[in-house]
Amino acid sequence: MKYFSVAVLGIICAFLLADFLFGQGVSPTQKSDLDESVTSTPAIVFKHALHGDSIGLDCAYCHTGARSSGHAFMPAKSDCMDCHRLPLTENPGIETLDSALAGAASEPWVVKSNLPEHVVFHHGVHSAAGVECADCHRPHRGAVGEATLASDGAQGFRNDIYGGEKFDMKMCLSCHRGETFKQKNFKPAATYCAACHR
Amino acid sequence: MMAAGFALFGCRDGLLGSSSGSRKLPTLGDFEDEVRRAVAQGGRGFELVKVPMPGSIKSSLSTVRSQDSANRFGMAIDLDVCDGCGKCILACNMENNVPLVTEDEAAKNRFMHWIQICGGVPFMCAHCGDAPCEKVCPTGAANHTPDGLSAMMYKRCTGSRFCGANCPLHARKFNFNDAQALGLARKFNDEVPQRGKGVMEKCSMCLQRLQNDRLRFKTEVGVAKAAGVPVLGSGEWRGRGVQTACSEACSKHAIIFGNWLDENSELVKVASRRELYAPSVVAGLDPSVVYMRGRR
Repeated sequence: MKYFSVAVLGIICAFLLADFLFGQGVSPTQKSDLDESVTSTPAIVFKHALHGDSIGLDCAYCHTGARSSGHAFMPAKSDCMDCHRLPLTENPGIETLDSALAGAASEPWVVKSNLPEHVVFHHGVHSAAGVECADCHRPHRGAVGEATLASDGAQGFRNDIYGGEKFDMKMCLSCHRGETFKQKNFKPAATYCAACHR
Repeated sequence: MMAAGFALFGCRDGLLGSSSGSRKLPTLGDFEDEVRRAVAQGGRGFELVKVPMPGSIKSSLSTVRSQDSANRFGMAIDLDVCDGCGKCILACNMENNVPLVTEDEAAKNRFMHWIQICGGVPFMCAHCGDAPCEKVCPTGAANHTPDGLSAMMYKRCTGSRFCGANCPLHARKFNFNDAQALGLARKFNDEVPQRGKGVMEKCSMCLQRLQNDRLRFKTEVGVAKAAGVPVLGSGEWRGRGVQTACSEACSKHAIIFGNWLDENSELVKVASRRELYAPSVVAGLDPSVVYMRGRR
């Protein structure tokens, strides 16, 4: 009897060991690869700090839907060329940019949204309610200047992309419940499931 | 021993075949054929009883807060006009990416359609104010929106099927199949996610159309206010101009969608001149979808 129970225990241990060694990971499909979320060919060296912070362009100038539509949208090459038809500065870097823009496709940036299929996020309605883009797109960092961005080697955070942030439902819900951004006095927001989920 | 463990536990999906294999997509013709078959097979009709016009939601659940809402969406189906052609079913399937079923299930009349022709009349979820399905959901996946819709959060559903068992209309459909892997599903509409195996689904009263219109409306009002442009009306969203897929598809205009709490809604204007009926099994549960017959 004793040998029998030891044998059973051994079998169970062997199975568990096999599962441990060869078993599949918990969530092989949930790998979020931020480096693939925004791609541009050929690489255009775009710096948000040069456009927003230094010359005061509104986000919606390039992300045309950011204040009026569900998707913020990435700018087309024609949006860039509105300003970049003429060399803008004496900066030698501008020539590199001009040649990159000349060779760029009509839609240089391809963005793959990290938003799951069952979640709806409407940029326009948030903007209309007084939420600033930077309220969500500069998370947990306070004011981020170019110096911080350039020296920031943190993984998943690139200085050509605003954010690199990881959004989760907790972040949405804490603001919708009025727990964060109290100083901004937002109107009470919907917290029922179907407001954002399908 | 290790090999046996490997086979049993190690790579369950790997050995049994992955669901992301080659998927064939059904054609529109397949969906049309299935709808024709469902209409021909039909279902047993429900006994209809007279009901008053739906007003604010009357629910025994404390979580349903309707008193602060100006909207309660619903439909009225005109029994004098409807001939049970089934165009509403096809429109619904395409709007909501409803999958096909296997031959076996079709023979047993077990379609995934959110609308079923019972006794020559389309029946779908009645979006009861006092919904019995929501009371038995263990995860809160079936819940009510302030607009009076009985909504379904697919990602929350664990497939207990209690809601389906508690629905007197049998309006809830359970995904026994992995329709995508079996090549039974096609995504016609990007606004609606496809449901996986083990998830309950039902008529959502085209929630996506309503919510998209609400977001558009609120954005426009917000932008107008910020620009100092006067806004017509109260600036409150009432869902005017939205149609469900079935009401849009009905060539005889037998399905009328609208807002029961908006006296300017076509639904209220039409329904106030007619006798209203509901299936006797849900008549006491404050249904939002009612049937019209005769003149009052």
